[in-house]
Amino acid sequence: MTFDLTAASIFVALFLFVTWIGFIAARWRKADLNLLHEWGLGGRRFGTVVTWFLLGGDLYTAYTFIAVPALVFGKGAMGFFAVPYTILIYPILYLVFPRLWKIAHERGHVTAADFVRDRFGSRMLALAFALTGIVATMPYIALQLVGMEVVIGALGFPAGGFVGHIPLIIAFVILAAFTYTSGLRAPALIAIVKDVLIFVTVFAAVVIIPAKLGGYSAIFASVPPEKLTLVPPEGDSLGSYSAYATLALGSAVALFLYPHAMTGILASSSGNVIRRNAALLAAYSFILGLIALLGYMAIAAGVDRDPAYAAGFAQYGSNFAVPALFLASFPSWFVGIAFAAIAIGALVPAAIMSIACANLFTRNLYKEFISPDCSDADEARMAKIVSLVVKIGAVVFILAIPQAYAIQLQLLGGIWIIQLLPPLLLGLYTRGFNALALLLGWAAGTAIGTYMAATQGFTSSVYPLEIFGVTVPGYAALYSVVINFLVVIALSPLLDLMARPGAPSAAR
Amino acid sequence: MTRNQHTASRLRYWPRLLFLIPFGAMMWVPSYNRTEPELSGIPFFYWYQLGWILLGAAIVLTVHLIETRITRSTEPPGKGLKPEDVPGDIL
Repeated sequence: MTFDLTAASIFVALFLFVTWIGFIAARWRKADLNLLHEWGLGGRRFGTVVTWFLLGGDLYTAYTFIAVPALVFGKGAMGFFAVPYTILIYPILYLVFPRLWKIAHERGHVTAADFVRDRFGSRMLALAFALTGIVATMPYIALQLVGMEVVIGALGFPAGGFVGHIPLIIAFVILAAFTYTSGLRAPALIAIVKDVLIFVTVFAAVVIIPAKLGGYSAIFASVPPEKLTLVPPEGDSLGSYSAYATLALGSAVALFLYPHAMTGILASSSGNVIRRNAALLAAYSFILGLIALLGYMAIAAGVDRDPAYAAGFAQYGSNFAVPALFLASFPSWFVGIAFAAIAIGALVPAAIMSIACANLFTRNLYKEFISPDCSDADEARMAKIVSLVVKIGAVVFILAIPQAYAIQLQLLGGIWIIQLLPPLLLGLYTRGFNALALLLGWAAGTAIGTYMAATQGFTSSVYPLEIFGVTVPGYAALYSVVINFLVVIALSPLLDLMARPGAPSAAR
Repeated sequence: MTRNQHTASRLRYWPRLLFLIPFGAMMWVPSYNRTEPELSGIPFFYWYQLGWILLGAAIVLTVHLIETRITRSTEPPGKGLKPEDVPGDIL
């Protein structure tokens, strides 16, 4: 990969521009940033438009932009499950989260763990929530770095060795600094710039690249026919059909349980803001669908056979498909814009994720177990420091540990995070479940989901479940959360009976 | 709250049943796992799911609009704007 001065200059200029925005964001909607809900939730004052940008930047990350087309590039139709997934997240957002927002707003909850702590009166359940959230989010932050690393490498900065990591480290120091000073206001404001860049890039890509390749017919004609649709199942198996459907459904259910999604939702100014966004965020889904098709454009353009990109594919695998496609299709100056869009697209979610982890640690570990009577200012200071620690952790993670582990951990993260569903969903409507039963359900779901992934060597989260002689390959997260629910429903009345003989659970 | 009022307040959530449609459509994978008919060179599998993004958004919007209308019509007049309807809600 040769160093491209024009592209690199534009890339660096745009990066410096958002850095400046990140710092001035502290003065936007000025308030006392020494309060946790001001620093970590932007004062819960983001209206429909800002929430749209914030959640859009939060949920459709740089890693998504790299990994989804890479999956389509490598595996064909199966990689397209990201599309039904983004269709299903919005009814879920509409049904569940305005109510959660309302309760959280009235009771001053900053995290999902705060919510279950309050609803079920259990510190241990809250601890399980906080730990699950932090552990599931860390590899996710690390993967944002992967997205950034791929485009920095593609710009021709020297890769490999310690020198190769310097641009990434600089980017993260900048990120850490503005998150520390501005809190959630920084990614909210940067998300607007990021989106303008992403929209320009994607529209240019879906117009210019097909024109160069001879239209969409030519693109799909160059894809091997067996990749274009799912392999129809044979014999006593639902094969790829159940895998496709459960991956979409399970991922959709898991998404809003992630701490960073929760932070974005709780930062909005009302339930109606959330409802409106449940309809409006589909614009991003459409963009994601178009981005997924870039994987096929990369096949049609034959970038993987081009010797100029051999080094990139050798180093980054199919994650290099989209950067290579851009390098092959766009003039240098536009490559700079497109790559900046991806790198800035990594900054926004990484900032929100580290803030979400910091909120969890401070509220549900530090204040709960270590320093119960710390002042509000202490609490906010602690969160700011933890957000730094989390980012250092993510950088060390990506530099010291093979990237394959980050991907496997992120895959496990989906299985772990979905186990938070029963307490959260049940807690919205009733306090009448036994906290210990919820905790045991969480433990059972986590253990079984992890076991299912282990049987696949941690390389796939699709588990071939046997039901009455029929094999139903499906997303392990979905199977394990069903077990979680069953444990809760079975044990809750039983444990209530043991705790207080004769008292039915509804009486509490 | 009398039993009738209680039932009425539950009934006003009926539009949410519309959400069953996108779930049903997306979970029924065999219905769209094919390449024909193509739409300007794009196989069915792809344009159908991309089209559902727009349909799904339209369904969410419809549910929201109907529910907003039901809320307005059942609330006693004179209650006026709720704090969550102020313009600050938009930006």
